[in-house]
Amino acid sequence: MANFDITDPLSFLKEQMMETLRLVIDPELHINIIDLGLVYGIEIDAPKKLVNVEMTLSSSYCPMGESIISAVKNCIEGHFEGYDATVDLVWEPVWSYDSIKDEGKRLLGL
Amino acid sequence: MSGIRQNPGLYKIVVTHYVAAAFCFLVLSVMMLFSVKAFAGHYFHPQILAITHMAALGWGTMIILGASYQLIPVVLETDLYSEKLAWITFALFLPGLVALVYSFWVFVPGIHMQCGAILLLLAVVLFTLNVYLTAKKKKQETIQEDFIFSACICLCLTVALGAALVFNFTISIFPQDQLHFLKLHAHMGLIGWFLLMLIGVSSKLVPMFLVSSYQSTKLLTYSYYLIVGALLSFLVDSYFFGLSLRTYLIFTIGATGITCYFIFILKCLRSRLRKHIDLPMMNSFLSFILLKIATLTVPFIIYFHLKNNPVTIRFSMIYGEFMLMGWITALILGQTFKTLPFIVWVKHYEHLTGKFKTPMPADLFADNLLKAQTISYLIFCLTFMPGCYLLFLPLIYIGIAALMVTAMLYLSNIFIVLFHKTITYGKL
Repeated sequence: MANFDITDPLSFLKEQMMETLRLVIDPELHINIIDLGLVYGIEIDAPKKLVNVEMTLSSSYCPMGESIISAVKNCIEGHFEGYDATVDLVWEPVWSYDSIKDEGKRLLGL
Repeated sequence: MSGIRQNPGLYKIVVTHYVAAAFCFLVLSVMMLFSVKAFAGHYFHPQILAITHMAALGWGTMIILGASYQLIPVVLETDLYSEKLAWITFALFLPGLVALVYSFWVFVPGIHMQCGAILLLLAVVLFTLNVYLTAKKKKQETIQEDFIFSACICLCLTVALGAALVFNFTISIFPQDQLHFLKLHAHMGLIGWFLLMLIGVSSKLVPMFLVSSYQSTKLLTYSYYLIVGALLSFLVDSYFFGLSLRTYLIFTIGATGITCYFIFILKCLRSRLRKHIDLPMMNSFLSFILLKIATLTVPFIIYFHLKNNPVTIRFSMIYGEFMLMGWITALILGQTFKTLPFIVWVKHYEHLTGKFKTPMPADLFADNLLKAQTISYLIFCLTFMPGCYLLFLPLIYIGIAALMVTAMLYLSNIFIVLFHKTITYGKL
């Protein structure tokens, strides 16, 4: 779960990047990775123009894992010119069904 | 970094198996068309033997081998041990299959049949070795691993016994007659190989595709021990004593194991996050119903066998048809369009996702063809199985014609997926 600090000068950019990552769709569920709760946070190194996305997958050997990671990198680099993106896959906290946001649940018809 | 890497080598192996299996399915339906009358007789008939081996090896096993190279790494959460070994397996398996099926069809139990059996045995031993060395890389054991590895062992034993039976045609190896060993060979294949393998893989994939919150594997553990226990008891008991009243008890143990698996699937279904069930998954659920029907015919086979009533042969035929042409076929017809589009999609779109709007994996196959395929397959089930039970040839003909249509639609849709051209709908 990403938290935004209003005193952080980069918080607006982080929020923008988070919103942009809504364009990355899980190919099986057809729901974006933000509403699925897969993205835990974004770190930006503004001087070096580096972005690190901390995220997880719904299972450790998700067959679409590589595609989702590749999509996250493409999405950030394609929308924020000059930025290089990396993805840190983490397994703590473990993704569970409770991680899905309200909008994700609505899209899943829950 | 996690996730399965889709490399070009793995893609070629998997796709080659899918295409070979689809052609075998079409050939199988044509072979059935030329053997309509044989379906009204005994199962120990050259054409029925050829058809059964084409269905079990060319269709069922071929696609399971191909899918395994993609899915076993997903289920066991590690990379495939060797792609080269997979190619060698295929290079031995295909000629072995052709030689065996042709020799059965013309029924010449000579060198071709024996070579076919040996090639198939070598192929399945290499496949098992590949699976074993893949699983060895992983530290944590899961129940899925037990299912898959036991299935591979059963496949080797099934083919080894089959090869011995082939040699028994010309060299006297067994004191008893062929039919005595045929039921052991058939059950090791159907229950030991297909059932254990398909439960092992589907118990991981069904919750994944349904996005189910049910995580417990307790039911699967019960299922594994009950099915394996029942299979071993059946093999030992029927080898020494033939079918008896004890066979009912063994059947009950095995059926309880299958029921545990069904309850597991039901729990996954009830706790699924994805409410919409697509057509490929509907096909898969149809296969579970067909498996249940096949299971329900077993007490009748035992009952009529113990009464020395020849109707037992007809029930045995129905049982085999529901297992191979019902359960296994329906599962493949559905799951192909869950797995193959993903494999092809990753090749075409992995580097484009996030940059461009792209089609989704489910957009890669022709939905209308899949609908038509499902309808024609349902017609096959509703005409062929009752036709064989009632020995009513027109129904069998209609059923086989529907199966041929199913096979053609299936093959066309496979090619639509494979010849998909990369398209994008503009920048994101």
